[in-house]
Amino acid sequence: MSNAATFRSIEDTVRAAHGPPGPLYWLALAVSGGVFAFGAWAYSLVVRTGLHWTGLERPGMWGNLITDFVFWVGIAHSGTLISAILFLFRARFRTAVYRVAEMMTVFAVMTAGLYPILHLGRPWLAHWLLPYPNQRELWINFRSPLIWDVFAISTYLIVSTVFLLVGVAPDAAALRDRATGWRRGLYRLLAFGWRGTDEQWRHYTRAYLFFAAFATPLVVSVHSVVSWDFAVSVTPGWHSTLFPPYFVAGAILSGVAMVITILVPLRRAFRLEDLITARHLDMLARLVIFTGLIVTYSYATELVLAAGEPASDPERSTFLYRMTGPYAPVFWTMVTFNCGGPLLLLVRKVRTTTWSLLLICLAINVGMWLERFNIVVTSLAHDRLPFDWRVYVPTWVEWAMTFGAFGWFFFLFLVGLKLLPPVSIAELKEDAAGHGAHGPDGPAEGSHA
Amino acid sequence: MRDPSEWPLGRRSFFRIVGGAGAAGVAAGCSPKPAIQRIVPYLVPPDDVVPGKPTFYRTACRECGAGCGVTARTREGRAVKLEGNPEDPVGRGALCARGQAAIQALYHPERFKGPLRRAGGGPAAPVSWEEAEADLAKAIVAAAAKGPGRVRMLTAPEPGTAGAVQRALLAAAGARPQDRVVLDLLDPGPLRAAGAALLGRAELPIVDLTEARSVVALGADFLETWGSPVELARQLADGRTRAGERTRLTWVGPRLSLTGVSADRWLRARSGGEADVVLGLLRVAADPAVETGRSKEARALWPRLSAISTADLASRAGVPWGEVERLGRELVLRRPSAVLAPGPQSQGADATRLAALALVLNSVLGNLGRTLRYGQGGDEDAPSSMAEVRALLDDCARGEVDVLLVHGVDPAGLLPVALGAPAALAKVPLLASFARRPDATTPLARLVLPDHHPLESFGDVAPRAGVLNLLQPVMTPLADTRQAIQVLAEVGAQLPTPAKLASTDPYDLVMTRAGERVASLRAPGAGLPADPAAELRAAREHGGLWAPPPAAVAPALRIEAAGRFLAPGAPRAAEGGGALDLVAFPTALRGDGRADLPWLREVPDTLSSVSWTAWLELSPATAQRLGVATGELATVTTAAGHADVPVYVFPGIRDDAVALPLGAEAAALLPATLDPVSGALAFAGVRATVARAGKRARLPLLEGSPYQHGRNVVPVVTRAEPSPPRPDLSARMYPEPAHPEHRWAMAIDLDRCTGCEACVVACFAENNVPVMGPEAAEQGRYMGWIRMERYLGDEPGGALDVRLLPMLCQHCTNAPCEPVCPVYATYHTPEGLNAQIYNRCVGTRYCSNNCPYKVRTFNWRDAQFERPLDMQLNPDVTVRSRGVMEKCTFCVQRIRFAEGRARDEQRPVRDGEIVPACAQSCPAQAITFGDANDPASRVSQVARDRRAFRALEDLGTLPAITYLARVREEEPS
Repeated sequence: MSNAATFRSIEDTVRAAHGPPGPLYWLALAVSGGVFAFGAWAYSLVVRTGLHWTGLERPGMWGNLITDFVFWVGIAHSGTLISAILFLFRARFRTAVYRVAEMMTVFAVMTAGLYPILHLGRPWLAHWLLPYPNQRELWINFRSPLIWDVFAISTYLIVSTVFLLVGVAPDAAALRDRATGWRRGLYRLLAFGWRGTDEQWRHYTRAYLFFAAFATPLVVSVHSVVSWDFAVSVTPGWHSTLFPPYFVAGAILSGVAMVITILVPLRRAFRLEDLITARHLDMLARLVIFTGLIVTYSYATELVLAAGEPASDPERSTFLYRMTGPYAPVFWTMVTFNCGGPLLLLVRKVRTTTWSLLLICLAINVGMWLERFNIVVTSLAHDRLPFDWRVYVPTWVEWAMTFGAFGWFFFLFLVGLKLLPPVSIAELKEDAAGHGAHGPDGPAEGSHA
Repeated sequence: MRDPSEWPLGRRSFFRIVGGAGAAGVAAGCSPKPAIQRIVPYLVPPDDVVPGKPTFYRTACRECGAGCGVTARTREGRAVKLEGNPEDPVGRGALCARGQAAIQALYHPERFKGPLRRAGGGPAAPVSWEEAEADLAKAIVAAAAKGPGRVRMLTAPEPGTAGAVQRALLAAAGARPQDRVVLDLLDPGPLRAAGAALLGRAELPIVDLTEARSVVALGADFLETWGSPVELARQLADGRTRAGERTRLTWVGPRLSLTGVSADRWLRARSGGEADVVLGLLRVAADPAVETGRSKEARALWPRLSAISTADLASRAGVPWGEVERLGRELVLRRPSAVLAPGPQSQGADATRLAALALVLNSVLGNLGRTLRYGQGGDEDAPSSMAEVRALLDDCARGEVDVLLVHGVDPAGLLPVALGAPAALAKVPLLASFARRPDATTPLARLVLPDHHPLESFGDVAPRAGVLNLLQPVMTPLADTRQAIQVLAEVGAQLPTPAKLASTDPYDLVMTRAGERVASLRAPGAGLPADPAAELRAAREHGGLWAPPPAAVAPALRIEAAGRFLAPGAPRAAEGGGALDLVAFPTALRGDGRADLPWLREVPDTLSSVSWTAWLELSPATAQRLGVATGELATVTTAAGHADVPVYVFPGIRDDAVALPLGAEAAALLPATLDPVSGALAFAGVRATVARAGKRARLPLLEGSPYQHGRNVVPVVTRAEPSPPRPDLSARMYPEPAHPEHRWAMAIDLDRCTGCEACVVACFAENNVPVMGPEAAEQGRYMGWIRMERYLGDEPGGALDVRLLPMLCQHCTNAPCEPVCPVYATYHTPEGLNAQIYNRCVGTRYCSNNCPYKVRTFNWRDAQFERPLDMQLNPDVTVRSRGVMEKCTFCVQRIRFAEGRARDEQRPVRDGEIVPACAQSCPAQAITFGDANDPASRVSQVARDRRAFRALEDLGTLPAITYLARVREEEPS
C-alpha cells in the first residue's frame, strides 16, 4: 500500500485529518472532556476535606491512584520504544505509527505525573519534593524512591516532549506552507524555522539519532525506577529483585497494546489505512506477543520462588492470598488477559483480524491495569502482621479519578490529533522515495519536507 | 514583531497590574473571617499559673468503687490529663481506661450548662439555682407532710461525705433509712449475703492477691471491673513475676473474658455450672485422700461432700471431672489461694449459693484473713439489692412516691427494660436528677440540678480501712453547675426541721468529716496529730490520708449454715424458651454498659476488637449452625425481649452459650429475675434464641485476621523453652546509626500485660489522638498510637491460644519508614527516636506502607474536637491536620521536659525520670522506659531477660521495644 503513496497523497491524507471535525469527533471530545471534568470535581472533594473519600486505610495506604500512576507510566513506554529503539534498529514499520505512539507517550506521562501529586495528603505542598534552595535549608531525601520517581518522570516528560517536537518540525513545515490563519502561526512555531535545506537535514538527522540514543535508556530506566517504589520496600509481594525487568516488559506490553487500541479506530476515522497498514499492525502485534511472553515468565518466576518458601513465610502467604483471597478475581483476570491474550495472537488469523486484535489489546489494557492493582493493593492488604490485614475496595471518588484520567488523556489526544500530524509525513515520504516507486510530485508543490 | 518599548504595557501600568495582582493575592490568601474575636491576656497573672508549666493537683477517681487516687495535670487553669497518684496505696500511680477517660466527662459537650425546670409536659427551661432549690424544698416539705416514703432517693454508692449529706437530708425530710436506695449494677451483692449467712459479716472482703499462689476466678473479672481492678492487676502481675513460683490463675465460665485471657487455664464450665465447679473443688479439698492435715471445716463437711457424685457434678458443670480434680489438688497444694465469685458472668438466680460455696472453699483452704480479708472494709455504702430497687420502682409506679432524687445513676437507661423503670419514673410528680449531662432519666425529670464533675468537686472516698482519698477541684467549674451535696445541704437548710449539717459548703462538709478521721488514720500509737489543720492540708496536697490497715480478721465459718449450700444444684431444667445460655458481661472499657465517652467508645475492645457498638459473641460451631458470620446482624430473643446485635464469631465461648456486653442491648434482653436470697439481679441463667436477621451491619472491627498463620509473631515461653527463638542478626552491611548520648528504649512484659487498654486511653489523652467516630471505625480508620494486637490461635479452626501484643511504634534503629520519606518528614534522632515532623509531611504515606508494624496512622480528614473537649488538648503536643502521618513519639514532650529539667539542675537525666503516658498508666506495671545506652538502667536490665524477643526481629529493623514473652506453664501431670 505504501508503495502506492505519493508525496502528495501522503500530505493530502494528513491534511484531511486536520480538516473541520465531524460530529463524531465533537462527541468524543465532549465525552472525554465530561469524564475528565467529573474526575476533577471528585478530586476537588479530596482537596477540600481530605483523603477520607478514598477507601484507603491501614495497612493499605496506596490504592487506585498509585495503580493508575504505574499504569500510565507503563502506557508512556511504548512511544519511546517505537520511536527511538525501533529507529535505532532500523525497523521501518515504525514509520507509520511512531507519531501516534509519541503523542501517546507525552500525554500518558502528563497523566501519570498527576497521580503522585493527586494522592498526596497535602498536594498543595507537592513542590517540596523538588530540590530547590530555600532559607530553611530543607532538602529532599535522595534515598527515597519517590524522589527518584520525581526525577525519572520529569526527565521522561522533557525528553519525550522534545523528541516529539523534533520529529514534528519537518512535518510542521510541510503543513505550514499550505496552512492559513492561526494554524499557520502554530506550524511556523513548531517548524522552528525549518526550510528543508541540506544543512538542516544533515543536522536534523544527526540530532534525531542523538535524541533516539538519549531516549533509549529511559525506556528501561523510567519504569525500573517506578518498580523500585515497590522493590526497595520491605513489604512482602513488593520486595523483589525481579521487579525492574518485569515492570519494563509489562510497560511495553501495555504501551503497545494501547498504541494498537488507539491506532485501529484512528486509521478508520481519519482514513489513514493507506499509511498505517495491516503490516504495521501485525508488527506491533508481534511486539505484544514478545513482551507478553516476558510478562508471563515473570509471573511464573514470582510464583515459583514464593511457592518454595516455608508455609509461614509472608511472601508465600501473599502470593497464595493473591490467588485465593478476596482479590482472586483480579489475579485470574490479569493472568487470563495478559498471558492468554498475547498467546492468542500467535495465530496469524487472530492477529490480522482487526476486531480480534483490538479486542485482545483492550483486554491486555484492562489486564495490565489489574496487574498494577494486584501488585499495589494485595501486597499491602496482606502484610506481615495478620491482625492488620484488611481488604481495600476503591470508592466512587477513586473510580471517578481513575476514569477522569482516561478522559484527560483522550481529550488531550483528540486535540493533539487535530493539531499535530498523526503520522510522520517526512519519514513516510522518505519511505516512499526510498522504495523508488514515485519521485517527488514536482517542484510546484514546493514542500520538499 | 514590535519593539518591546511599543507594547501597551508601560512601566506605570506594569506596576499598577503587579500591585493589583499582589493585593488580590494577599486578600485571597488571608482568612475570610475578619479577626474580631478579642483575646484577653492575663493582666495580673495568678501566682500559681505559669504559662507553659503544668500544675498538679491530687484528687481521687469516682468512676467505680475502687477509689484510686488521681494526679490531675493542669495547664493554664484547665485539667489536661489524669494519672494515678503514686502515693495512693490502691492504684499506686496507675489508672485504668475508665479512670483516664473521666476527664472527657468533665469536658463533655453535652453537659448541662445550669439547672433546668420542666413545667408540665413542656421542654425544660433554665431556672436559677435559688428557684430550683426552693422548688425542691417546697416539694419535699409537701411530700413529707403526707407521711414517710413519699420522699425517696436513688443514688450511686456514695461512701463518703456525699452519702452522709444524702442521709442527713432524707432524715430531715422524715424519710426512713430504706428510702435511700443505692444502685450499683456490678456490685457482687450475693457475696455480701453469703458473708452474712456463713460468717455473720454482711460485707465484701478486701481481696489481696499479693500472697496468693493460685487464683480461681468464677465469672469475677477482677482484671476488668470486679472489685479493685487496678490494684488486683498489679498484685497478680507481681505474683506472676515472683521468683520461684508463679501465681497461677484459673478462669471458670462459659466465655473467655479478658481476665480469662490472662489466666493459665480456662475451665469451660457451662453457664450456671460455676457453683458445681466450686462444689467439686470443695469435695477435692475436703477429701482426706487428698489432704491429710485437713481443717476442721473440711472434716465437718466431708461426710456431706463425700455423698456427692463426682460424675453428676462434672456433667452439671459441663467440665470433665479430671479438670476439676486437678484444680482442686492444686488449690490444696498452693496455699494461700483465692477463689473469687460471683461476677456478672456467673451471677444467676442462685448466685448466693455460688458465693457461699466460694466462701466455704476459701475458708477450707485457709484463705480467709489472708487473701480475702474481712474487717478491713472502708466506709462502705452498701448497694441495695435489685429487689429494693424494684420495690422503689413499684412504689413509684403506684404513685406512692412524690419526690425522687436521682443521683449518679441512670435508672431509665441502665436497668433491664423488664423492670419498667421509665414508666415507673414517669409517675413520680417531682423527679429531680443530679445528672451532669442528658441520659435516659433526665427527660423524665421535673428538675435537673447538674452536679459538678468530680474534678470540680470536694469529696472523699475511703475504699478500705486505712485509706481516705480526698477529692478537690482541679479547676473552676465550666458551667453554672453546683455540687450535689451543696444543693442537698441548701435544700436541707430550708426544711422545717433543718438537716443536721455543719455547713452547706462542700469544702467545709468534706473537711469537717476528714478532720474527724485524722486520728483514726494514724499509725497505731501515734496519738492525735499536733496540728490537725496542717495534717489535712498535707493530706489534700498528697491526695489523701493513709495508714496501715487494721489486722484482718479470719471469721469462723458457721458450718451448720454452710450445710444448706452443699446440695448439688437442681438438675438443669428442660429446654424452655431458647437453646443458648445468655452471658452478659462488663468490659474494662464499657464498664456496666454506660460507655458514652468518646475514648471509651473509639478504643476497640481487646477481645473482639469491636468499637462503638455492642456485639454478639457466638462460637464458630454455633455461628455455622445458625448460618451467621461476623458482621451480620442476629436477632437475640429472651423471655424479656429481643435485640438486633451484630455478630462476632469468637472461639472463646462454649457452643451452648451466646454473649454480649452490658449495655442497652443487654438491658433489653435481661429479664427481671432476681436471686431470691440476696435480691441481686440474675445476669446469668437466661436462655436466649438467636436467629439471623438477614442483614449485614457495618461492624467497626479492628482485626484483620485473628490468627498468626504460623508466623509466631507473639511467641510464648515454657519451662522447656525458656527463651523465644531469636534470629541471628550478626551479618550487617551498613553501620548502625550512632546514639552518642541516649538511646530511648522500652520493654513490655507480656506476662504482666492484661490487655486492659489503660495505656491506649492514656495515649489518646496525652497525645491529642483524635476520635474519628463510628463511620471511620467501620473503615478501619483507627487513629490510636497503640493498638492491642490480639491473636486467637495459629490457624483458623485450630486450638484457641490467645496472645496479646500491644503494638506501638518500635522506634527501630534501622527504621524502614525513614529512607522512603522523600522530604525527611520522618528521621532518626541522635537519641534513637524515630521522629515525625508533621509540618514537613506531605502525606505520600510510603512510610506506613514500608512499616512492618503498621503503627503509623494517617489523618484522612481534619480531626474534630468539639467544644469544650478541645480544652483537654495537651498544649505540649501538636494537633495534627489532615494529610499528615502521625505515630507514637515515646512521649517526646515528656522526654524533652525531663531533659530540660535535668539541664536546669545541671545533672544527668535519672533512670525512671521519664515515664511515657502508657507506662505511667499501666496497672500491671508491664511497661518500662529508659535509656538503653546505660547498661544499668531498668529498661536495659529488663531487656536482658531470657524471655526477651522483638517484634518481627528477623527483618533487622532493630526495634527499641523489647517484649518479654508470656510464660505458659505446662499443666502438672
